[in-house]
Amino acid sequence: MVELKQYNRTEQPNWCPGCGDFGILAGVKKALVELNLEPHQVMLVSGVGCYAKLPYWMRANGFVGLHGRELAVGQGVKLANPKLKVLVFSGDGAGYSEGGNHFIHACRRGIDLTYIVHNNSVFGLTTGQYSPTSEQGWVSKSSPFGSTEKPINPLALAISAGATFVARAYAMNLKELVEIIKQAVQHQGLAVVDVLQPCVSFAHKPEFYNERVYYLDQSHDKSNKLKALEKALDVKESIALGVFYQEKQ
Amino acid sequence: MLRVGGEAGWGIASAADIFSLIAIKLGYKVFASKDYASQIRGGHNYHTVRISKQPVLADIDTVDILLALDKTTLDLHSKSVAKVGIILIDEKIKLEQKDNRIIIIPLKLIEEKLKEKNIHNAVFLGAAIKCLGIEFSVLDSVIADYFQDKPSLIKKITTAAKEGFNAIPAIKTSLSALSIDKSPAGKLSVGKNLPPEFLTGNDAIAKGALKAGLTFLAQYPMTPATGILHHLAKEAATNQKLIVVQPEDEIAAINFAVGASIAGARAMTATSGGGFALMVETYGLAGMAEVPLVIIEGQRPGPATGLPTKTGQGDLKFVLSAAPGDFPRVVIAPGDIGESYTETKRAFYLAEKYQLPAMVLVDKHLCESFQTINLEDIEPDFIFNYAQRINIIEKIGNKELNEDKIYRRYADGNLKRHLPGNPEGIFTYAGDEHNEVGYIIEDSKITKRMNERRMGKLEQIKAELPVPKLIGPAQAETTIISWGSNKGAIIEAMEKLNEEGKKTNFLPIKFMCPFQDEVKTILEKAKPEKKRLVLVEANYSAQLGSLIREKTGIDIEHKILRYDGKVFTVDDIYNELKKIG
Repeated sequence: MVELKQYNRTEQPNWCPGCGDFGILAGVKKALVELNLEPHQVMLVSGVGCYAKLPYWMRANGFVGLHGRELAVGQGVKLANPKLKVLVFSGDGAGYSEGGNHFIHACRRGIDLTYIVHNNSVFGLTTGQYSPTSEQGWVSKSSPFGSTEKPINPLALAISAGATFVARAYAMNLKELVEIIKQAVQHQGLAVVDVLQPCVSFAHKPEFYNERVYYLDQSHDKSNKLKALEKALDVKESIALGVFYQEKQ
Repeated sequence: MLRVGGEAGWGIASAADIFSLIAIKLGYKVFASKDYASQIRGGHNYHTVRISKQPVLADIDTVDILLALDKTTLDLHSKSVAKVGIILIDEKIKLEQKDNRIIIIPLKLIEEKLKEKNIHNAVFLGAAIKCLGIEFSVLDSVIADYFQDKPSLIKKITTAAKEGFNAIPAIKTSLSALSIDKSPAGKLSVGKNLPPEFLTGNDAIAKGALKAGLTFLAQYPMTPATGILHHLAKEAATNQKLIVVQPEDEIAAINFAVGASIAGARAMTATSGGGFALMVETYGLAGMAEVPLVIIEGQRPGPATGLPTKTGQGDLKFVLSAAPGDFPRVVIAPGDIGESYTETKRAFYLAEKYQLPAMVLVDKHLCESFQTINLEDIEPDFIFNYAQRINIIEKIGNKELNEDKIYRRYADGNLKRHLPGNPEGIFTYAGDEHNEVGYIIEDSKITKRMNERRMGKLEQIKAELPVPKLIGPAQAETTIISWGSNKGAIIEAMEKLNEEGKKTNFLPIKFMCPFQDEVKTILEKAKPEKKRLVLVEANYSAQLGSLIREKTGIDIEHKILRYDGKVFTVDDIYNELKKIG
């Protein structure tokens, strides 16, 4: 049996105390242990951003490359060695802004990997600018009068671009996060998991999300693409979590 | 030399291919180049086929037979046709003056008789064959081979060619200068499409990559490198070991290739200057993270879109300095189609051994010209068994692991990389500055050491490159210095000058990075007294000249430069050298 300590290393994360990245790191480790995957069977690919340091703080194979190019590297790894379990990490800046083109095409290409996007609606490592998922009107260092741009809808985009597994999780709900990551890793094809996370320094505190999130219940038919898209486009004050869409295999 | 010109979509390329195959069948060596517009229909396109009993590697100025399928071709190229040459034209072209070289083809009559359209290439080809005194059966068999995959076309093309053949009453006596050996040399089967020994530079690169054990290509289409993607996509259909991906853009292409390489593939990407401009950030990443990667850069005149289908050598300084920071890179510029093959193989060897990006820098003239060449006949200047992997660790001992059992790949003096999946250790590649296990650091001592580790590879590579050599006489009044696809034209011009008693030799520069110290020694020896150094390059700013000056302190005074998208012909170089004296 694989144990959690196999994934631990001496160096400790230097994220801000209370950062959602801690939750995602814990969730990924736990999911891989529960799936009984050894660290050497796993390849973690990331880019640049606070999130991107995750492979440095987890004992598994890793590649920390460039901002926004995570998916392109991850797909190359998987094509060259299909035996590896490839987990690609990105952020709302890297993945939806700089790497937006790669995101769309990875969805339709469908190479078997798990794509986890740390979505905190802000550029954190550059000390707080609005990102593609910041809400309209959001005031930041680069939008002092409020952002005029509409936020991207990553789930609706992924579903319409052809992704076969599309989910949203929340970094501070470890139990559910682990379940969703496990399903994503087991899914054959590209699995997109948008993970909401607080940025305690520059964006939303945990309370913001705690008040708004709820989980999709049994009544949601995740095999129905149109229903999934409808749910993804239903952006209100409350935020749905769970698996929105999974194509039957 | 035969030239065929007309609009895009008229089968100009097929006509040139078929003529080339006929020449090969008759035992000739062929060099064929093409000049075309960046459009699929219309415009002015021309292909030039030079045949000789001796290998030829360049274009010349004089055309022996011109197939002018339209007026533009006649207007632009008739002055290049020899006095005793032939010009075939369509009867509908109105002639402004009488020209003994012109033979009129009744195209409209033939089209009406056959109730066919779009057959000018076949009709003209048939007529040209007749003019050259070649048996129709030779053309007939080549057409059957060439259109093997499209049997419906064989009859149409053959019938049209026969009409063109019959339209020429008899061979003109004035054409005796065009003596051609008409007996087929043995039973050469041209096979499906083009025979394996009639190749473009792109084909040679693809074959070199395959010979070097290529298992992964990611490429976004861009002229002039697209032929590599076509060649390898076709190969991948039957080669289980080869993966070919056409991703969403060039940035994805190089990152796919990096990902594949770290997972164990022998990986390559290919593009042109514009596409490489998009790849630049990842070029540096491959240097930083020490990832083996082969990049093919096919130059065309830039900047921006430039002249998409023409040739040039304007990217040398760009590729040598592309990407922020210092990192080791290999840049090799082959001079002909044979070298495109051998240097692509060398790039794979150096990339894998030293774990860095290795670039083969070519240009449109090299990528898309054809030459009859047997790649297996080339004498290699280094030997490597590509079935083996170099510098990959399999058994990882305790000493090679840190306390967390992470592989100390970047430990001092260690060049062996690790492939993910190895149960004896894990490893993290980093685009950030890192310590010996690839962990992100900001320590200045480690940063300094890592820079020295990476850049130190260049000296090691230098030590195993073949020394540069002068071509031609050891002592000469003029030494030509050049690079890339100018080689063929320079050698022929040089031979002509030597025959005339003007002692000339030639130093091709193949290794741009690392730059070889021997270049300085050779140039210093060539320089004294009244001897001349002449630089030949296809760019405005004499980029090789400035590289030579940077590396050797030698300023080459005489420069023959062209930056008009055209190829240096033998005559261009000969005439310019004569002007210099």
